[in-house]
Amino acid sequence: MIRVQHITKTFGDHIAVNDVSFSVKEGETVVFLGTSGCGKTTLLKMINRLLEPDSGHIDIGGQPIDQQPPELLRRSIGYVFQNNGLFPHYTIEENIGIVPRLLGWEKKRIADRVTTLLEKLHLPPAQYRSAYPQQLSGGQQQRVGIARALAVSPPVLLMDEPFGALDPITRNHVKKDFMQLDELKNTTIILVTHDVQEAFQLGDRIILLNEGKIIQEGTPDQLLFEPAGDYSRDFFEDQRFALEASRIAPSDYPALIKAFDHYKQNNG
Amino acid sequence: MDQTQSLWQFMTLQSSKLLQQTLQHIGLTFISLLIAVVIGLPLGVYITRHKKAAGFVLGFAGILQTIPSIALLGFLIPLLGIGPIPAITALFLYALLPVIRNTYTGIDGVDPGVKEAAVAMGMTAMQRLMRVDLVLAFPVIMAGIRTATVINVGVATLAAYIAAGGLGEFIFGGIALNNTNMILAGAIPAALLAIVLDFLLSRVQKISGHRRRTVLSVLPIVLLLCAAFYVVPLGDSSRLLAGFTPEFMGRRDGDIGLRDVYGLRIKTVVISDAVMYKAIYNKKLDVISGYSTDGRLEAYDLAVLDDDRKIFPPYYAAPVVRKEILEKYPELAPVIDKLSGLINDSVMTALNYRAEYLNQPPEKIARDFLIQKGLYAPPRSGAKGVVRLGSKIFPEQYILTDMYAMLIKGYTDLQVESKTGLGGTKICFEALTHAQIDMYPEYTGTALLAILQPPQKETERLSKNRDSVYNYVARGFDERFGLVWLKPIGFNNAYALMMRRRQAKELGIRTISDLTSYLKKQRS
Repeated sequence: MIRVQHITKTFGDHIAVNDVSFSVKEGETVVFLGTSGCGKTTLLKMINRLLEPDSGHIDIGGQPIDQQPPELLRRSIGYVFQNNGLFPHYTIEENIGIVPRLLGWEKKRIADRVTTLLEKLHLPPAQYRSAYPQQLSGGQQQRVGIARALAVSPPVLLMDEPFGALDPITRNHVKKDFMQLDELKNTTIILVTHDVQEAFQLGDRIILLNEGKIIQEGTPDQLLFEPAGDYSRDFFEDQRFALEASRIAPSDYPALIKAFDHYKQNNG
Repeated sequence: MDQTQSLWQFMTLQSSKLLQQTLQHIGLTFISLLIAVVIGLPLGVYITRHKKAAGFVLGFAGILQTIPSIALLGFLIPLLGIGPIPAITALFLYALLPVIRNTYTGIDGVDPGVKEAAVAMGMTAMQRLMRVDLVLAFPVIMAGIRTATVINVGVATLAAYIAAGGLGEFIFGGIALNNTNMILAGAIPAALLAIVLDFLLSRVQKISGHRRRTVLSVLPIVLLLCAAFYVVPLGDSSRLLAGFTPEFMGRRDGDIGLRDVYGLRIKTVVISDAVMYKAIYNKKLDVISGYSTDGRLEAYDLAVLDDDRKIFPPYYAAPVVRKEILEKYPELAPVIDKLSGLINDSVMTALNYRAEYLNQPPEKIARDFLIQKGLYAPPRSGAKGVVRLGSKIFPEQYILTDMYAMLIKGYTDLQVESKTGLGGTKICFEALTHAQIDMYPEYTGTALLAILQPPQKETERLSKNRDSVYNYVARGFDERFGLVWLKPIGFNNAYALMMRRRQAKELGIRTISDLTSYLKKQRS
């Protein structure tokens, strides 16, 4: 679905993204993981042309992204910001309806779509559709931000630390409701985060970045159990026990207990 | 011209003039504001997207803002002449900075997260501007327009100096004529206008939501409608155009006398004497009200029309001094009187010519003259006390004041403090009666007509004779204000109508009666 080839981006002397290539399959969720300044957000913004790469190619659905006006490209890609980026002078309904309006949807269709999305994100439409963003809590604003990005059911969804600004409890609630959205089944998602737990929780595949380069790319299991080098190993070290435990499925418990007993017998 | 009439009586009496001036004032304010918004708003938007140009554009508009308004009008006259065009240009230049700067700051201050979201959502540059940037920057932009409006209402009073009309005609006329009612008749509506517009715009500024877009699109139309109030100040349509100072317009020995006594009907604009001479020289005007000792008479080759029916009373200059200061320093009066009888009309015209046309500093002119007359004495640097000298705001007064300063410093142990450039008669006279200054040179005719204001019959009787006017004002000032008129300096700086010498000759106009009959023939 998305193919990125040899992308490089510099800001002055600083190389933010250095010759990065990868691809994302349709319906897959890929997480860019890394510390601040590793180039993950820069990389994300080049996919909907908020930033233009210095060199390299990006295709979406087989189409080079620079072959159509950036506005048209962006209308087909949902985007969720860390700080929601809602328009303060628009109501919730109008905020969610921005892209549908740009695409020329009829009023009725927009209103129906807003109702559906608000219900799915547990914001009662009657209470919230005419409210302004500043009347909502941070978690509610972020839910609206997600609804806005999904309004026209775009095939691609880009998320820049979407839960990063929320407190841990709110974050879990919003994340849970987000993961239950049936819209996401066929949507190709790229999500940027520095939160290892979140990456493991949401990602089908993880791309670990450092200093603008891909350190390792693979499933969570591959990153955890087959680290490609010292950086990968060290990156997960602090949370290794929790992460490894989270990778064990309930059906594996009997085998695990057996193996543990066996170990105890042999070693006294 | 009854001194005791109330402000309300004055305003009722002059209501048609007042209405016209107010409408002109509103018109001037809004035409210039409209142009400033039409140019400044897009320019402000442009520099938010081209930051390199921002410093230059804001810096340039900022420099324009620092030019004093009178000076700016002065710069514009050689380029644009007199009348509405330079006035509107000047007002536009003043309104430009607040509009550009607030558009720039307003858009620049929109949350970058919101701006990025608008891009990421797929809005085009125009959609972002109209639906996000301008709407969110709206309160700041409106604040800029509000500032510009209030500035323009204030500066538009100066339009009266260059024949563009507005409430300044009453204000400056009143200052020149010592007529408080006239000043207030101009100043109160101007102040009310500023307050009302400021209030209305503050309400507009608070509008929120989608109505902001409506306001932004309706705003130019409203400005255009208000601009339509401006009626180009024109009188009847005779071939010659006269430019009279605000002071001259309101005087019995001025425009009123010309109408009553001579029956003069001429298309007239109000203009400042600072630009009047240049305007007639450049053929923007044909007749002006000047002063008979003005140095520019020679410089610009102007002819004085003979006042054949004697409506301009004598204007002999003499120092007016506070009685207390003369009693406190008895040595002062003889020193001041040293100048008496030394300067006749042609000498004064020559001195004025050096100041007004050769641009020599008044101090040098004064020193040269005293040295030539053998009166100059080096300052004694005494410390007995201080005499405060005032002067009106034209070169002749500066020169006289400098002469007095040198004489006092050279012949007494007193120090001198000069407070020159005190505007018109009213400001000088009020400063003297309130003991803010101790003396200034005044003219007998001005004192008679602008300050004492005797009944018309009395004035006509007095006006024929130079000594009777002097004696009358000397007695009146002594009795009513405790002020002393010292001996006359010698010259008579009377009002005079002037034309370009060549044109006057061509049209065969020598006297004011000639001018009147020439205009009558033109009309018939």
